[in-house]
Amino acid sequence: MLASASTIINEIIHGSLNTVFNVLKILIPLMIVIEILRVYKIMEKLAEKLEGITKVLGMSPPAILPLIVATVMGVTYGAGTLMEMNKVNPIPRKDFILIGIFFFICHGIIETTAIWSVAGANILVISAGRLFIAIIITIIASRLPIFNKNTHYQDQEQ
Amino acid sequence: MKVFINTVKDGFIKALKTTVTLMKVVLPVYALVVVIKYSPLMPFLEELFRPAMGLFRLPPEAVVPIITGVFTDEYGAIATASQFNFTGAELTTIAMIGLVFHSIPVEFALSQRIGLPAAKFVLYRFTASILVGILTAQIGGIFLC
Repeated sequence: MLASASTIINEIIHGSLNTVFNVLKILIPLMIVIEILRVYKIMEKLAEKLEGITKVLGMSPPAILPLIVATVMGVTYGAGTLMEMNKVNPIPRKDFILIGIFFFICHGIIETTAIWSVAGANILVISAGRLFIAIIITIIASRLPIFNKNTHYQDQEQ
Repeated sequence: MKVFINTVKDGFIKALKTTVTLMKVVLPVYALVVVIKYSPLMPFLEELFRPAMGLFRLPPEAVVPIITGVFTDEYGAIATASQFNFTGAELTTIAMIGLVFHSIPVEFALSQRIGLPAAKFVLYRFTASILVGILTAQIGGIFLC
């Protein structure tokens, strides 16, 4: 050990409380914003306007809602939306996989950007940069030949 | 208006609940990392990961927040990162790697539950995080210094 026990205990208590406090300052306004987005169905309204994007990403139009919810609000909300939608009207397998490819690169953009920028990371890179990378990867993935075998998707289109 | 007030209240309560959950993660993780930082394990870890971190233009200790992030979540990674003196460019690279490849046990279970091929997605995220890390490091090296 390079430090005494009291130094270590001191650092643990101070550091961890400090971190929780810093996170709390962001988390409270953030959770309020997310709750407003959810209650006023703002994501649903945004989804209608952005439906065109799904064509570029190689998905069918209904896929936009879980995609936006996951990207903006977080992966748990996105997964929840996806499961709800699957109960009513199942999403084609191709869309499902592409949504996964997209949102595992880029999810919870408000939350993660806020907490990491307070820690000292570059806001533009971790928000816009990440979104851009996710879009590029999804576009490439949607054009891969493996999806041509997937007849389910084509059946639904016809 | 009543709906709005209730919404704000719900958001506030959710934030407090999240904080409690967060404490349960951050406190033990933080304690563990402080102990590791001062223990002989740290120089060993640094030597082991020096070449890998060099790939991302990161100092060897950057492996600690990255590994923490993989097993806990973003908050664990940030709590850990705050214990070392990283520059803005380094933090951005750590953030980008961590944001792509994090909370693996939790999100593995989640992707399984929604019916995605979970193992394949872990592999995909691992590969993507390395590529994203290299990309950010190269771009960051030019613009963020």
